[in-house]
Amino acid sequence: MEQQAGIWQKINKTLGSLKLTLFVFLTLAVFSIIGTLLPQGMTEQDLHERFGPGLGHWIESVGFHDVYRTGWFRFLLLLLCVNLVVCSLQRLPKTLKLIRHEEGDINPDKLLKLSTHVELTTRLPWEETRSRLTRVLSDGFASPKVSLSSDTYTAYAIRGKWSPLMVYVVHSSVLIVLAGALFGSIFGFKGFMQISEGASSDEVILSSGHQQITLPFKVRCDDFDVSFYDTGAPKEFRSDLTVLTNDQPVHRQTIRVNDPMSYEGITFYQSSYGNTLKLAELELSDKAAGISQKMTLRFREAGSIPGTQDRVQLVQYQPDFSRFGPAIGVVLQKHGQQESSGSWILVNMPDFHGNRIENYHVKVLRTEVSQYTGIQVKKDPGVWLVYAGFTAMLIGIGLAYYTSQRKIWVWAAPKGSAQRVVIAGRANKNSLAFEAEFTQLCERFMNDLK
Amino acid sequence: MNSSLLLSVTTFAYFGSTALYLSGVVFRLKSVLTIGSLVALATLIIHTVGIGLRWKESYDLGYGHAPLSNLYESLVFAAWAIMLLYLIMEYRTRQRTLGVFPALFAFLAMAYASFSTSVDAKIQPLLPALKSNWLIAHVITCFLGYAAFAVACGISIVYLIKKTNEAGDKPGAMMAMMPEARQLEELNYQLILFGFLWLSLGIITGSVWANSAWGTYWSWDPKETWSLITWLVYAAVLHARTMQGWRGKRAAWLSLVGFGCVLFTYFGVNFLLSGLHSYATQ
Ligand code: HEM
Repeated sequence: MEQQAGIWQKINKTLGSLKLTLFVFLTLAVFSIIGTLLPQGMTEQDLHERFGPGLGHWIESVGFHDVYRTGWFRFLLLLLCVNLVVCSLQRLPKTLKLIRHEEGDINPDKLLKLSTHVELTTRLPWEETRSRLTRVLSDGFASPKVSLSSDTYTAYAIRGKWSPLMVYVVHSSVLIVLAGALFGSIFGFKGFMQISEGASSDEVILSSGHQQITLPFKVRCDDFDVSFYDTGAPKEFRSDLTVLTNDQPVHRQTIRVNDPMSYEGITFYQSSYGNTLKLAELELSDKAAGISQKMTLRFREAGSIPGTQDRVQLVQYQPDFSRFGPAIGVVLQKHGQQESSGSWILVNMPDFHGNRIENYHVKVLRTEVSQYTGIQVKKDPGVWLVYAGFTAMLIGIGLAYYTSQRKIWVWAAPKGSAQRVVIAGRANKNSLAFEAEFTQLCERFMNDLK
Repeated sequence: MNSSLLLSVTTFAYFGSTALYLSGVVFRLKSVLTIGSLVALATLIIHTVGIGLRWKESYDLGYGHAPLSNLYESLVFAAWAIMLLYLIMEYRTRQRTLGVFPALFAFLAMAYASFSTSVDAKIQPLLPALKSNWLIAHVITCFLGYAAFAVACGISIVYLIKKTNEAGDKPGAMMAMMPEARQLEELNYQLILFGFLWLSLGIITGSVWANSAWGTYWSWDPKETWSLITWLVYAAVLHARTMQGWRGKRAAWLSLVGFGCVLFTYFGVNFLLSGLHSYATQ
């Protein structure tokens, strides 16, 4: 059993050791570096293309293509949390003792052993010495706890009493931030929405995995507008949005970059914009068969060519098809044929010989284009927890920097015709700054007791 | 009299101040150090006016935004922050012997900003995504952190030279003027904890801004990740102090590694982004 305790003892010691902390910090740093040297989020096919099958496969098996989401990176974060908790629990008793304990018996030998101490004698009468000691201590440092016996005077004063606890605030803030991130990744989602002007949608394409989810309400883009600087750089773009539940407007807001809309815990961020085709009027002619027909097709809605059994559909739209201007992807389903065929029709070049599918020459007479607004959609129930962690961290580090716990003891007793006085002090950190403060305080004592 | 004139005067004046600090230490002349310190202070004032003027000029052009939005402006601000922090430290510790490296770093930052071809000094309009007062908070906090780490790096170098000299048989005369190793070590620690506070604030303002503007408070993009790496290294330095055997030289070396990360976060990442096409930013 005793041997058992030995092992547990050893594990507990390492789990709480600062060596482990250093190891985890520096290992996290190294693996994060790898994550920046190698483009993240590459698919298997990209890896093979770029590094060749052998290396590509190795990178994927080790997880360097997606460092921050691999098991062992998360294990390192977990190890950091465990190390943090064990270390804090081990050190908390000592810290609490440091705060509550008031050094009961103050005697000169103990004080002289402290590195920051001063001994002086004064000719002032005993009562005078005592009252001056107390006054200088409370004016120059902090109001002391004084105890008197027949022939000895002792005083104890403390500043920054709670300062040693600040480190625990910093450390718990790290746990809060990680907990918030975990909570958010489990119960939240992140995706993208594309809504044409005037249209409404409730479909969100998730950014990881590309599945689709539907929102419990619809979002309509009433108007989209973009303005530019004279240098051509975009100055601002905004969308007027309306939230509809069973087609009743329940909320209306204009969103801009940096100025999102939130509704029922879901936030909509203005992130990009573009153009999509609403409808197009086409002229399809087949010189050999002597057919020439006009028809108007709404985007993505199939329609049959008048006077024929063939069906045609506008399936894609590119605002600028490799510098040839806008182009529409048209698909033709010939009557009685299994597969359909498709091709790109250049809108601004009607007589381009390539504007053909099968036997038809296609000319675009008119198009109606609408702008769409690109919106980033996010639900993250963990955000406020992360923000709480951020605040606690800043307060903790700030106070850990600006405050330190400082104690001053004074002992005095008559000796012959004069009084012997011993003053000592101790700080829990920034010792040099404390030594300067201590020397200044002692100068005040000396001047006052001359 | 426009901002670029003032800022080029500042560049040369920082060089002068570096030379004065260096000669003051080499020839052990306290008076030269005092002159170096006064020159540094005067230059900082000109520097501040230069930045203020550039801010006003951006409004005159109709692009009104704080001068913190591109590489040139951030370099100029970095130099300013380094000099400000150093002079405050110089005043509080009454030590003028540590001015060489901070003045040198400030000069190098200004020189690179004004002379390097890859840095565009023109005042440009702000992209919509950067139009937010989070931008000002984020850049200022990050650079106060980097400036504190820069001054700490200078002190770590002096500390390491002093330690190796002491190990050697004849302690260098130059080092005699420098503060005690123990004071250097504590100054280094103070500055690193101060820098750590500002870097944490910098990362946090960046994260909150990204969340309020684009909906993600952390997306592991190389720029964010490298500031986290810097943060981890300096957290390691802070904790190494409380471990035996790590307190003196090793902590100083780690502080230099940390400053290396600062430089890479600042310069390297821009190269990295253009160098390797990053799939993550598609
Ligand atoms: C990301 C995680 C962490 C952060 C941001 C952090 C931050 C800090 C800060 C700012 C200080 C104050 C430095 C000072 O006042 O001198 C500190 C001190 C300390 N930390 Fe951490 N820490 C982290 C993790 C850990 C872990 C995992 C341990 C476990 C052993 C640990 C143990 C300590 C100890 C023992 C001190 C010294 C306390 C003192 O000087 O009174 N820290 N930490």
